[in-house]
Amino acid sequence: MKKDGLINYSDEGNSYDEFFGDSLKIRKHAQKTLNFLSSLKLEELKDINSATISAIQSMGITFRVYQDDSNSSDNRTWPLDFIPRLIKKEEWKMVEKGLIQRVKALNMFIEDCYNKKKFLEEFKIDDSLVLKTSAYKKYCLNKKLKHGIWSHICGSDLIKGEDGDFYVLEDNLRVPSGVSYMLENRMVMKRVLPDLFNKYGVNPVDDYPSKLYETLASVSNAKTKSPEIVLLTPGIYNSAYFEHSYLAQQMGIDLVEGSDLEVGKDNYVYKKTIEGLQRVHVIYRRIDDDFLDPEVGNPESTIGVKGLIKSWSQKKVSIINAPGCGIADDKAVYSYVPDMINFYLKEKPILKNIDTYFMNNKEHREFVEKNIHNMVIKPVAESGGYGIVIGKDLKSNEVAPIFRKIKNNPRNFVAQPYISLSTSPTFSNDRIEPRHLDLRPFILSGLKHYVTVGGLTRVALKKGSSIVNSSQGGGSKDTWVID
Amino acid sequence: MLSRDAEHLYWLARYIERAENTGRLINVNVEMMLDFPIDKSLGWEPILEAMNSKDDYLVNHKSFNESDVIHYLSREKNNLNSIASCLSFASYNSEFIKDDLPRSAVEELNNIEMNFLKEMTTSVSKRKRAKNIYEVISSSQRFFGIISDNFSRGYAFEFLRLGRFIERADMITRIVDSICTSDEKEGTIDLSTLEWVNLLKTLSAHQAYRKVSRGEIVKDSVISFLFKDDSFPRSIFRCLTIIKKSFQNLPKNDEALLFIDKFLENLKSSRIGKYDNERIHVFIDSTQKKISTIDQLIQKSYFNN
Repeated sequence: MKKDGLINYSDEGNSYDEFFGDSLKIRKHAQKTLNFLSSLKLEELKDINSATISAIQSMGITFRVYQDDSNSSDNRTWPLDFIPRLIKKEEWKMVEKGLIQRVKALNMFIEDCYNKKKFLEEFKIDDSLVLKTSAYKKYCLNKKLKHGIWSHICGSDLIKGEDGDFYVLEDNLRVPSGVSYMLENRMVMKRVLPDLFNKYGVNPVDDYPSKLYETLASVSNAKTKSPEIVLLTPGIYNSAYFEHSYLAQQMGIDLVEGSDLEVGKDNYVYKKTIEGLQRVHVIYRRIDDDFLDPEVGNPESTIGVKGLIKSWSQKKVSIINAPGCGIADDKAVYSYVPDMINFYLKEKPILKNIDTYFMNNKEHREFVEKNIHNMVIKPVAESGGYGIVIGKDLKSNEVAPIFRKIKNNPRNFVAQPYISLSTSPTFSNDRIEPRHLDLRPFILSGLKHYVTVGGLTRVALKKGSSIVNSSQGGGSKDTWVID
Repeated sequence: MLSRDAEHLYWLARYIERAENTGRLINVNVEMMLDFPIDKSLGWEPILEAMNSKDDYLVNHKSFNESDVIHYLSREKNNLNSIASCLSFASYNSEFIKDDLPRSAVEELNNIEMNFLKEMTTSVSKRKRAKNIYEVISSSQRFFGIISDNFSRGYAFEFLRLGRFIERADMITRIVDSICTSDEKEGTIDLSTLEWVNLLKTLSAHQAYRKVSRGEIVKDSVISFLFKDDSFPRSIFRCLTIIKKSFQNLPKNDEALLFIDKFLENLKSSRIGKYDNERIHVFIDSTQKKISTIDQLIQKSYFNN
């Protein structure tokens, strides 16, 4: 047990703590933060906490949450814990290399799947995994994209395991969100904790919008030097609308809805302006594949643009991320990423993957059932933490029904060994206690590659919980990559 | 600039200006009622008539008593022109264009709506009611103050300005109408002077009017002032001049400029001060139609394509 002022820590459990090592020995890089925190009285900590909340409110940082079983939703204040998450720069450099390596291989995999299918043949991958999924788009066949990039913006979820190493949990290759919160967290922290900043060399994060702009511009097929770029949003009721509006403002580009765009007779894309129709060269879309174009995807879609896919197929507009890139965003395909790195890049994977068991493989499934208490079962296509079953939380009479459900649709589930997420000190209930966290860095790929400095740290605010999603009561931290 | 953004900006400004002017109309009428003997007063019916709301009002009300009418004009959600409705439409439009507006202007907007609606649930005393409405008026003034002080001149600014001054011109005609629709009353001269003073006060025009016209305040000079004065920003002539300036900074403006020039000429040559109430009413009708033509030209040239 460690009780230093308001810091309330115990040595139990096998999670890796980012501030305290074995026998609660303070890690060297965390010393200055802990000194600072233990010098404060409870009233002062509370003051910092309320200053954080009011800064977030006056900056209007919100996220939208939808209630179950109803169409209602509300805008909530973004939750931020003021104690930063610390990552040493030399460690981050390695992660950065690992992420770029991963995303390169994933992009090569996507292009390969739509062309020669070499990887699928070499590894004898069942059609049900890629070619026969709804994410596989026939209209992408034989397409080659500029720089060979399909997923230009990728958000990978990383966790630190019990051994203190980073593992990749999943790669979000379709329309990952959260980066605006990373940027705004930093703005808030500069306002509320300037004194702690001065004690570290904290690497800045704010060049992301200009790097994003560069990436978007670099994939334009237009001859012009300054291509017309727009951000396509589903609208103000989307849960990530705050981010769409924020990024458009930061890059100085138009935030458009489907109805603002039109595909002309010449199959070019135009936006409707007060001066008339104006060519658009690049669309940064925040709409799912199936809603992009009612002619090709969901015919009911009112948020898309009729004829958009045809225009894209003729290379008359660039869409980011490219339609069809979702094939690699699947928890079953995930398990092949180390093989992809070997196969395409002839390199050894830098970042660790987590072992993944296929529920449509009988041996795998039986193994998982036997060891269910050390396992996590995940639906392959869900996101946001929904539908995850944690084996150790199950009562014995709950196991059989779950496996019956899995056997009905085994392709839809995978299992992974349970890994306890690392913890870091967090202000909660007037005390500083360990809470579990993960990390979502963003990787940009175009002419060049770029990785955010750190990323968005998400933290489970409930004691012992591993659910970090903001829609389910998770919070966030500012991530400091320190010299 | 995106057509949709232009449209949101235009309507944002119109709804804020409409909320402000409705507030002015209510407050001045309340004050005027206090000055009149009850049997001589115009009551609240002409105001509902001028706002084109009488029929809608009568669906759920039987009499024109003050507290019902004021509730209807300020807080009734089913009245699409009530202050509360205007504010919520304004805030809806602002959702889409937050990224285009200065942050402080967005904050002011949030405040207007929050403060006004906060009082909605409680039954409001007369004193509080007036204060509440004054708060809407001054918030609107602060909002446009921030815009004129912190906002780059460009298309976005012009659409806000167009919305504001078209709405204002329209509201001026309605406010004048609310006083001129009634039959010429046999009241003493003192009472009718009061009406014209109050009309000027509604439009914050009393001081400006005094600068150009001393002596007794009479109908013909007040009406001429509100329609034809070329320097006071709450006269129709001045509103149109500002609207014309905005068009000059926008593309595809030929048709609108031609129309406004004719409109201005027509205003200038009219002898509206000399008209009787019936002719004033006809003139106001045709003025409102012309204002609505400008609105349609804006929609046609910039929003629908």
